[in-house]
Amino acid sequence: MKLRIKIWQFIIAICTVVFILRVSEIFYSIELLLKYLKLFFTDVSLAAGQLNFSLLDNFFSTALIILIPFYIYFKKNQGGILNKELNFTAAALLLLLTFFVFAPIVSGTNPDFERDLSVTKLLPPFSKVKILHLAEERKTSSDQLSQFLELKNKVVKRSYNENIIFVDSVQNGNVVTYFQRGRAFHLPAAKVKYAEGKPFVTEKIFLLGTDELGRDIFSRLVYGARVSLFVGLGAVMITMVLGLALGFLAGFFGGWVDSSLSRFTDMLLAFPMIFLVILILALFGNSLVSVIVVLGFSGWMSLFKIVRGEVIAMKDKEYFVTAKMIGLSKYKLLTKEVLPVITASVVVNLVFQYGNVILAEAALSFLGLGTGGSYPSWGQMIETGQSYLTSAWWMIFFPGITLFITLFAANNFGREINTYFNPRIKN
Amino acid sequence: MKNEILKVLIKRVISSLIVLFLLITFIFILLRISPGDPAEKFISPELSPRLAEQVKQSFNLNSPVFDQYRTFITNLFKGDFGISYNYRMPVLSVIMQYLPFTLIFSSISFAFQIGLGFLFALISVQKINGFTDNLFAKMSLVIYAIPSFVTGVFLIYVFSASLNILPSSGLRSFDSGSFSFIQSFFDYAKHLILPLVTLSLGGIAVFYKYLRDNLEETYNKPFVLNLRANGLNERTITLRHVIPNAVGPLIAAAGVELGILFGGALITEVIFALPGMGRLTINAILARDYPLVIGCTFISGILVILTNLAADILKAKIDKRLIKGILN
Repeated sequence: MKLRIKIWQFIIAICTVVFILRVSEIFYSIELLLKYLKLFFTDVSLAAGQLNFSLLDNFFSTALIILIPFYIYFKKNQGGILNKELNFTAAALLLLLTFFVFAPIVSGTNPDFERDLSVTKLLPPFSKVKILHLAEERKTSSDQLSQFLELKNKVVKRSYNENIIFVDSVQNGNVVTYFQRGRAFHLPAAKVKYAEGKPFVTEKIFLLGTDELGRDIFSRLVYGARVSLFVGLGAVMITMVLGLALGFLAGFFGGWVDSSLSRFTDMLLAFPMIFLVILILALFGNSLVSVIVVLGFSGWMSLFKIVRGEVIAMKDKEYFVTAKMIGLSKYKLLTKEVLPVITASVVVNLVFQYGNVILAEAALSFLGLGTGGSYPSWGQMIETGQSYLTSAWWMIFFPGITLFITLFAANNFGREINTYFNPRIKN
Repeated sequence: MKNEILKVLIKRVISSLIVLFLLITFIFILLRISPGDPAEKFISPELSPRLAEQVKQSFNLNSPVFDQYRTFITNLFKGDFGISYNYRMPVLSVIMQYLPFTLIFSSISFAFQIGLGFLFALISVQKINGFTDNLFAKMSLVIYAIPSFVTGVFLIYVFSASLNILPSSGLRSFDSGSFSFIQSFFDYAKHLILPLVTLSLGGIAVFYKYLRDNLEETYNKPFVLNLRANGLNERTITLRHVIPNAVGPLIAAAGVELGILFGGALITEVIFALPGMGRLTINAILARDYPLVIGCTFISGILVILTNLAADILKAKIDKRLIKGILN
């Protein structure tokens, strides 16, 4: 018997699993949110000063992970995409979206978290590491702000934490002795946090291993999904605007506008764009924004050809001539007459373009010209992993397979949409 | 008819050259307005100010941009691309060190892509929707989605790091100086296996898919049924009638692909440390070697134009009606 799962069931299942795995953190987040709201109503300027991206990120993903299952559950009977059967493509894309939206909750650690390199670097997948907790200086103040800050430090993942030590083993005594790769270190007992008369030691599992700086590969993958999907989204938006505008211009006005634009497009299609992209990024600096803009500007050619062709074919159709005769403005013509007709081919093209952009971003990161900044990128992870090929295969394997699945799912999704819009074309 | 074709082709070449000229100009302007001064790298603080000024003068980057452009264009028409900043050699002789490898490597890879793609497509259409057909179709989708740098690194892991049977980088072994002709041939071949697989896999998948769909479409056309009814055997139908009708659009795509390959297989060259045009170009870009960047672009552009031209001629040879299409 084949297992049949609907898409709405899958979404609810993902949210539930994430919720169960991270239940304590989610409750802390809710508490933090309530504290923040209280602070907001007592002292607005103080609250505004505390607001930053990672805090907002945390609030949103917490709220969404609770709200989405209910929303999906009540919407499930309205037909549409939620009632479709789950296949590989949909599952992969939904998982990626989960990473994208819930990154702070799913990942569990900051992607740049480094501590005690000697213990944590280049650990294979599923390795366990003991964590020795140090005593925190507890300022028991009833001050609202300090309470809020204390909780915030607990919830919002930072790239450092001075209150824990990764160790191989711990011995209790007058002084606490802990071992890191065979070397013994001593700590006065007062500095260590105690639970039931013993030093408080917990365990952490690095699900997909760690990289050369002891950073958790799983959380880097999760945050890398954000980079990939965001760059893809931004670049595809630019591509869409450019392709539609230029294609409409060329198709609608014809004449020299059309011929010069078409020639220009042919030239761009013939030359390897990757070199131009690299040239611009290398000369003017690579950042998240510049990568998005350059990739967006380098991919509009095929969309232009499609739009131009459709508009030219449409120009002789009677309904279009009528609409023009009535005196519709060019903007109205574009939005009311052209867009509805070409939506199908545009969407298909953009989905494929999305895959191309993700691949291009990974390739650029691989060459060291990626988005930079604080977020890790899959291409960059593969590039780093090359140096550790013989000793740490997991550093390349996991980003590689994630990238492959993403591209495969994006291509499949494009084909599925194509069949949906043009059922007569067989794949 | 011959004259007409010639006219069309000349028109195309001229318009492509104008486009190439525009592209070069665009890159020239980009290089000049970008921040940073490549001359700074060659001036050490110990240099006397007068000497430093002389070094800067020799780069000719201080004069107004328009004057620089005029000099550049006049030199270009004389076939002089200038001196590479980093190699201290004329740009053309630097490129000539890297171009032969790229031409040979790309041609072999291109032959593999077309040949194997064609072969698999032919096997596939023997029985549409049969087991092999479905298997190949699925595999082509999977292979198409694997980025070349993942393939390359994976191949190195398996064949170089784990099995240790194939070299992972470079073009020759370190002791290749003493090799005889046959030995060095095998040495080159051994070094090129992994890069060729890396570079060709994606192309094979693309050409396979393209050809298979075209072939299937052609097989379903009424004229094939007519030929069958007339009693022609399948072999003749496939070779004489179906294939020539199916390859038309492929040739244009192949022309573009070959042109892009001649520009250098950037990722593959970087992974396997091969001396090709792609790596030369990106190194020139990263080192801000302005004359070399422009030289590489120019040579790649010329190659792109030539391959597209060749594709056009071939297309017109196979289907005379297409000459009208090329005219536009």
